[in-house]
Amino acid sequence: MAENARNPIRKLWQIFSSVKTGVILLIVVVIVSAGGTLILQRPITEPEEMQRAYSPQVLRVLDAVKLTDVYHAWWFVLLLVLVSLSIVAASVERFPNSWRYFSRPYKSPTESFRKALATRKQIPIEDEETAVLAAARALRELGFKPELVTSDKHVSLFAERNRISEMAVYIVHASLLLIFLGGIVDALYGWRGYVALTPGQQSSLVGLRNGATRTLPFTIRCDSAGQENYSDGSPKRWWSQLTIVQNGSEVQRKEIVVNDPLVFQGVRFYQSSYGPTGKLDKLVLSATPASGQEPAKEVSLVLDQSVALDADMSVRLAEFIPDYVVRDNQIYTRSTSVENPAAHLVVASKKSGQSFNVWLPAIPGFAENDRSPYRFEAQDLKMGYFTGLEVSHEPGQWAVWTGVILMGLGLALVFYLVHVRFWVVPVLDARGRLALWVGGAANKNREIFDEKFTKLVEAIEKQIKSESAACVRVHETSVAG
Amino acid sequence: MASVRAEHQQPTGTGATLVVMVGLSVAFLLFMAFLNVVKSGNLLNESNLLYAALIFYCGAGALYLGFGVTGTESYVRFASLATWIGLLANTGAIVHRWYVAGHPPFASIYEMLLSFVWTLAVLTLIAEKRFGVKVIGTVTMPVAIVGVVLMQLLPSEVRPLVPALQSTWLHVHVTLAMLAYAACALSFALAMMFLIQDQVKTETFLAGTSFSVVVSYAAIVLTRFDRGGLSVVAWDPQQRGEVFVARGVRLFVVIPDLGWLLLLVLFAVAAPFALYLYGRWRNDDRVLVSANRAVFVSILLQILALAAFFVRARDGRYSSLDAEGLFPTSLAASPFILSGLVGAIFISLMYLMLLWRRQDLEKLLPDAPTLDRITYNTIAIAFPLLTLMIAAGAYWANRTWGSYWNWDPKETWAAITWLVYAGYLHMRITRGWRGRRAAYFAILGFAVVMFTFFGVTYLLPGLHAYA
Repeated sequence: MAENARNPIRKLWQIFSSVKTGVILLIVVVIVSAGGTLILQRPITEPEEMQRAYSPQVLRVLDAVKLTDVYHAWWFVLLLVLVSLSIVAASVERFPNSWRYFSRPYKSPTESFRKALATRKQIPIEDEETAVLAAARALRELGFKPELVTSDKHVSLFAERNRISEMAVYIVHASLLLIFLGGIVDALYGWRGYVALTPGQQSSLVGLRNGATRTLPFTIRCDSAGQENYSDGSPKRWWSQLTIVQNGSEVQRKEIVVNDPLVFQGVRFYQSSYGPTGKLDKLVLSATPASGQEPAKEVSLVLDQSVALDADMSVRLAEFIPDYVVRDNQIYTRSTSVENPAAHLVVASKKSGQSFNVWLPAIPGFAENDRSPYRFEAQDLKMGYFTGLEVSHEPGQWAVWTGVILMGLGLALVFYLVHVRFWVVPVLDARGRLALWVGGAANKNREIFDEKFTKLVEAIEKQIKSESAACVRVHETSVAG
Repeated sequence: MASVRAEHQQPTGTGATLVVMVGLSVAFLLFMAFLNVVKSGNLLNESNLLYAALIFYCGAGALYLGFGVTGTESYVRFASLATWIGLLANTGAIVHRWYVAGHPPFASIYEMLLSFVWTLAVLTLIAEKRFGVKVIGTVTMPVAIVGVVLMQLLPSEVRPLVPALQSTWLHVHVTLAMLAYAACALSFALAMMFLIQDQVKTETFLAGTSFSVVVSYAAIVLTRFDRGGLSVVAWDPQQRGEVFVARGVRLFVVIPDLGWLLLLVLFAVAAPFALYLYGRWRNDDRVLVSANRAVFVSILLQILALAAFFVRARDGRYSSLDAEGLFPTSLAASPFILSGLVGAIFISLMYLMLLWRRQDLEKLLPDAPTLDRITYNTIAIAFPLLTLMIAAGAYWANRTWGSYWNWDPKETWAAITWLVYAGYLHMRITRGWRGRRAAYFAILGFAVVMFTFFGVTYLLPGLHAYA
């Protein structure tokens, strides 16, 4: 009864841990991922475009099954989890065997093993000991370190190389799981956002991808930012001079460019973009009194800032429109790019309480420039620029990069490191005469290994011949006297 | 395991003639180029070196094809020599451009082609010397020639790099991508050769090649046929770039009547495939004979379509739905259409070569088990390269945009390619798949590589461009 209870579980386990299951799961992942590239995906595509591409019914179905956000759908995550589990199961199922193979080298081949091994050769010999020693020399010549194995009163040889190769496949799969783990950690605990700063501005708030706002435990301040262009006008370099302020003191400073972020406490700030805010930074005017008797003054104005012109008069920049247009007796803003700028100044007198609306340029119907006690001329216009920073926190990325390096190592071991084993055993051949049995095994690249084996056999035969020749010479000299 | 060795043939009368003819042509072209160059001055600049490379690759291609058709061994030696010299000139061009531009040649399609052609020449020589597959030049050299010709059509100025492209990691990623894709291409060629040696019927190759050509034409017609004309991207000759109506949105013009011509040729290339299916259904060999004739006819029509596209694209101004006025276009504006048309002709020609010279080919190639093994060895090189390529790309994206994986279509398809080749390795290593099943899997892998390279950029945006 217990047997029957175990068998279905055992069967299920075997199916789940089989390579076939793994490959089928891979195929499903491939099909689903490909689908995600063919079907428009929601966060990236604008809603209007989605509605244009698919009819309402189709869109309803796609949304319901989450095919419009495949890679974050719960069933896709489940699929990836299943893939990971199948890798784990397959490794667990096969690891004990491989470990036994790896940790306990098979040094003394039995007769049945010797008969079954494909790559083998028997060399007739005269004397057991000298033959084995000759074989040892041949192996050493080929770069191996043979060890003497004593069993059943006989001495045999065992030499191997790159035993780690048997573990290589587990290294590859473990590294893959490590990469997945890093990805999961980042999906759960990582975040990405954006913050735009104008020079001098600081913030500890980041607008996240999903719409929420995150408060950082420190403040990032932009000291300055800029853009360098090539001679043809295309952007060459965006840079920002950033400072991190924590608990009132400046803890880090860096000038960042694209590809070179600032990293602080696991949060990374990337130079993402640079552009005009569409808002005025500074307007520099020369103010000349209407009487013309006093010299012109230079006045620098920011929006809504009042600057004194003399003891009585002050001027305030009430409005700045980068691109104005007059329609139906109203002044409108056409765009945020500086095409047709207009500035609305209010000149006020403290004493009389009067104020005058000065427009540069003098827009008819609105400007009271002629009545203003001061004339103004624009000297310089500075628009504001912002620097766009991508902010991200990816705690899992170290697992990912470690996994990648480990996988590179694992793949190199899997494909290029061959576990080679040689055995040399003195035996009695079919006719009862003394022979040296030489056998070899390799876990990949059979054809190249066959050549190596032939070389080894030739080397052993050569060593045995020179050994017996030496014996003969010794014998002769000893006989000769 | 004794492999069948090609019988050594002494160069016959015709044999020596081809070598002499090719040699003379190469010398003549070089001399003309030299005269032209001496007038302008600078001898060893990039375009001259590239032109020299083209001449030598053409010579090599002609000799490889001659070898493929007649089997004369001496052709291979001269072809290799021509490839070596072409490679030298190509390397010179790359070095010169790198020096002038200050960055490795990866920043534009022109530069990518330059590097790709170089890699093809290197692979040809490696496959020949290391793996003993001598006839691979018949496949790689014509592709290299097409590549260099395409380059002549593309804008070649050294463009300064925008900030995102200035990273070393990007260059590492692109180098790895090129090596990986080249190894995949090589595994594809070897898998094809395995199928030839494994006695796969020639009709099956007919089905495969004609189907690929149909897919190529169908992709063009389905996405660009516009009321009888062909919709192509407009080209601004002054800016030497595509015309955009808005950010990321290209302006399309319609070349009238070209759509009908391509539709006609689509039917012409579908005919061999249809005839094959019919012949299989009826089990009638005579139908297969007409299918082969239909391939020959389709090649002529394909050349006609290519010529018409050439002429219409280069001269003429066409109207657009999205803007007023007439706009010119250019071959450079439609790299994918051009590649599709040229590639289809190439595939059809390869089939004809197999059809007419299969027995010679079988004598020249290594035996089937060896080819099977070499295919696996090539994928064993391609797979680690693919892995590192994806990793380098992810690292670059992380440094530039703050995220190493975004499920971007290009990234996703690169991962799919990786998974497909992982599948090949699993089925082979663990399940013992060999021979034909392994070869088909390798071909599938390369098809996915092609889609990742061409399809993602050309087809996927096109699917939703005109919602």
